[in-house]
Amino acid sequence: MEAFVSLAHGLTIAIEPMNLLFALIGVLLGTAVGVLPGIGPALTVALLLPITFKLDPGGSIIMFAGIYYGGMYGGSTTAILINTPGESASMATALEGNKMAKAGRGGPALATSAIGSFVAGTIATLGLAFLAPYLVDLAVKFGPEDYFALMCVAFVTVSATFGDSPVRGLTSLFIGLALGLVGIDILTGQSRLAYGVPELFDGIEVTTLAVGLFAVGEALYVASRRHIHEEKLEPVRGSLWMTKEDWKRSWKPWLRGTALGFPIGALPAGGAEIPTFLSYSAEKRLSKHPEEFGHGAIEGVAGPEAANNASAAGTLVPLLTLGLPTSATAAMMLAGFQQYGLNPGPLLFAERPDLVWGLIASLFIANTMLLVLNLPLVGLWVRLLAIPQPWLYAGILVFATMGTIAANPSPVELMMLAGFGILGFLMRRFDYPIAPVVVGLILGPIAESQLRRALSISLGDPMVLLQSPFSATLLTIALIALILPFALKGMGRFKAVED
Amino acid sequence: MTRRIDVAGLVIALILLAVAGLIWLDMSSLELSSVYGMGPKAAPKIVALGLGILAIGNAIMALRGDLPARESLDWKPIVLIIGGMAALIALIKFGGGFILATTVLFVATSAAFGRRALLADIAIGVVISIVIYILFSKLLTLSLPVGPLERLI
Amino acid sequence: MIHTRKALWRGAIAVAAVAGFVTSAAAQMELKIMAPAAPGGGWDQTARSMQQALTQSGLAKSAQVTNVPGAGGSVGIAQFVNNGKGDGNQLMVMGYVMVGALLTNKSPVTLDQTTPIARLTAEYEALVVPADSPIKNAKDLAAAVKADPAKVTWAGGSAGGVDHIAAALFAKEAGADPTKINYIPFSGGGEALAAILGGKVTVGISGYGEFESQIKAGKLRLIGITSATKLPGIEGASLKDQGINLEIANWRAVVAPPGITADQKKALTEVVDKMAKSKEWTELLKAKGWDDSYLSGDAFTKYLADDQVRTKDVLMSVGLVKS
Repeated sequence: MEAFVSLAHGLTIAIEPMNLLFALIGVLLGTAVGVLPGIGPALTVALLLPITFKLDPGGSIIMFAGIYYGGMYGGSTTAILINTPGESASMATALEGNKMAKAGRGGPALATSAIGSFVAGTIATLGLAFLAPYLVDLAVKFGPEDYFALMCVAFVTVSATFGDSPVRGLTSLFIGLALGLVGIDILTGQSRLAYGVPELFDGIEVTTLAVGLFAVGEALYVASRRHIHEEKLEPVRGSLWMTKEDWKRSWKPWLRGTALGFPIGALPAGGAEIPTFLSYSAEKRLSKHPEEFGHGAIEGVAGPEAANNASAAGTLVPLLTLGLPTSATAAMMLAGFQQYGLNPGPLLFAERPDLVWGLIASLFIANTMLLVLNLPLVGLWVRLLAIPQPWLYAGILVFATMGTIAANPSPVELMMLAGFGILGFLMRRFDYPIAPVVVGLILGPIAESQLRRALSISLGDPMVLLQSPFSATLLTIALIALILPFALKGMGRFKAVED
Repeated sequence: MTRRIDVAGLVIALILLAVAGLIWLDMSSLELSSVYGMGPKAAPKIVALGLGILAIGNAIMALRGDLPARESLDWKPIVLIIGGMAALIALIKFGGGFILATTVLFVATSAAFGRRALLADIAIGVVISIVIYILFSKLLTLSLPVGPLERLI
Repeated sequence: MIHTRKALWRGAIAVAAVAGFVTSAAAQMELKIMAPAAPGGGWDQTARSMQQALTQSGLAKSAQVTNVPGAGGSVGIAQFVNNGKGDGNQLMVMGYVMVGALLTNKSPVTLDQTTPIARLTAEYEALVVPADSPIKNAKDLAAAVKADPAKVTWAGGSAGGVDHIAAALFAKEAGADPTKINYIPFSGGGEALAAILGGKVTVGISGYGEFESQIKAGKLRLIGITSATKLPGIEGASLKDQGINLEIANWRAVVAPPGITADQKKALTEVVDKMAKSKEWTELLKAKGWDDSYLSGDAFTKYLADDQVRTKDVLMSVGLVKS
């Protein structure tokens, strides 16, 4: 009950005209930079910190919250329209979303992503308001062995992105894992496969890989086939808006995505990518139209988008309750708090309830604002696809390189972008799935470092993986998910030959 | 279905094997190990072994001719786009600046997609990159590569 | 916003002119400050704070911050040394972490190639344990490390970084083999802090600021700080006061490119000297919670050289650097 009163009070703070204005500036800025790959909300908040120094703490933190949510929207818009995930968490959205856009269903894809984000953001923000103190106690108990087990679950589900040949899918995944080895080994400080190139020491940037494979690779592929297969984009085919059928197929994925995204986002090393993958593969398995996956299934947009936004709210759980910044953006918000002498953490709720509840309330406002701003824009966004093909792809490439130039203006980084573009082109030509490469790059290093941390703490005893209840449960889930499809297949088609 | 050996598939298998060898070689040159638990060599070993096995798998597919059919390929647009990116990288490395570099990429790509109106495309490219430049360097104080054109702004 | 910035400059220049203490040469300076890290981190914040203090106090006409992230500053310093040679208007923020990173990365570029200007801030390392830990003070921890270094797990930042070095030095002082410590590097402060709060590790080590709010809330116990004596405003004794001879600070400094003239070096040092004394800088330090540890000129040059030697010795004794 107390929380309700505080939240209501927070809402009165957040709807003060000045604060509404800050929230509006925030969501606009966030959306604007969110569309650029490589420039995320973290960078924006970092660049704005010195400017907002003179504002009052409440206003600027509310603005940061707007940027945070706005960035998520922007990232998925480009993922759907031009197959350029603005951030790694939008990759799953690009898989089905871009296929929908190319089939003239960009409108429903953008709509289900906007509404799904709103639904997920709202539910997750409620979760933040009411469950944060309980959730955080569980979150810090999640140790390295548990993260490793979570990665195992994620690895098993990657097969949803494999397409029809397991050998090809695994090849893609292992290319990603190999790329994940590049860089300094965090546990011993030695560099692996970096060959003395300083830009490789920090490992391969996920956005560089994703943008190279998806956007640059796609441009090359489409260009190389123009002489036989003229790609015709129709911005709208059928309805611009979601049909009744679309709604029916979207609402469950929204809720499931939220249920995956919020708790995993609240884990200190959970992140936003893993819940989006989990949601994608869950939707593929649960869908009544699994054959549509890979050709533009709306569930594959609705679920991951909801998971992405829910995890953004989840990230704020450890930030506000413990002062733990668990993402780059959260770290920037922490710096934002600190420049006003505020220390997020166990005492912040008690010391500055007005600020905390004002922030939570402004998350609701930012979320609503984004929905109101974005839905009418869907029609406009979709028209982008009507741009003549040469300019559209030229613009996409400018966009893709621009993100890299702004985030890290190094020729080596740009060469990697071009190199991954060529890789993406070749993989498309020889029909290897693209997504597992990115998944491998993200999951591989986390799985390795968490397992090694767990084994270091246990002095090399692997039993630690079974002794933790979280880990044991997750490993069981992974095992079932791994065996079940084979078992079902074996029963159904006894003599079928796997090829 | 015709079953003939796919040469490109065999090349892919060879490349995978080479990458596996590279990883193994790099792994064996690591000097330090973790004091407790698993060292830095375990993961590269797993990945290298996996790639080796997959190389065999890919080779078998190629020998059986199981690869999907491929269409004929037009190399010209690919060379144009990659050339555009190479020019962008060179311009940024040698101080040509953001606007010039981005314009070159824009023009090269649109030419790859069949545009022949060079001047119009240059104009569009310049305008787009100037707008982006002003937006980012002035409004967000982000430092983009500066060349002769940027100094005029 | 372009307008406000121009107005700010005009205001700043006007203030400077009225105050009249700024030499005309310095006021003309158009500085470029490189932060060899991504926006948001400590080095970036230092660079942007300098930018703010320098322009608002009118010490420099302009100050532009560039970010060159990567590998503990190894990417940034390489670019700085190669492209900035002889340029008297460039500065680069760096710190203790870079000293170690250059050694562990076997970087071809070293700090000896830069021109040291001044040390700006310092932060001391804090050792913490969960509130319910049987370890009550630094002596208990030293005894546990000595008894079996494997059983004491440390959570901190990157391998070979200041946290790791401090942990190894602690083991050495406690009479244990520093190469046998069970140090677990985490990426980013948040993850390490979660592991400590969750009781997954024995002890956490990082800058005091990372732990401050948890200590105040009673979730973590501070068992020692690596300053010479007890610090004002911090409840907890230094390691030295508890009989453990360990003093280490994570400092941040600025350096200039190689090959600048003595006059250029003098001009840069003067500007930074004045900035460090400015009202704007002191206010920023206070807002950010950074300790002023200003040191410039020959004293800083010597300090930097000494610290490089000392760090190399430590890293070799811990087994993080082979030669």
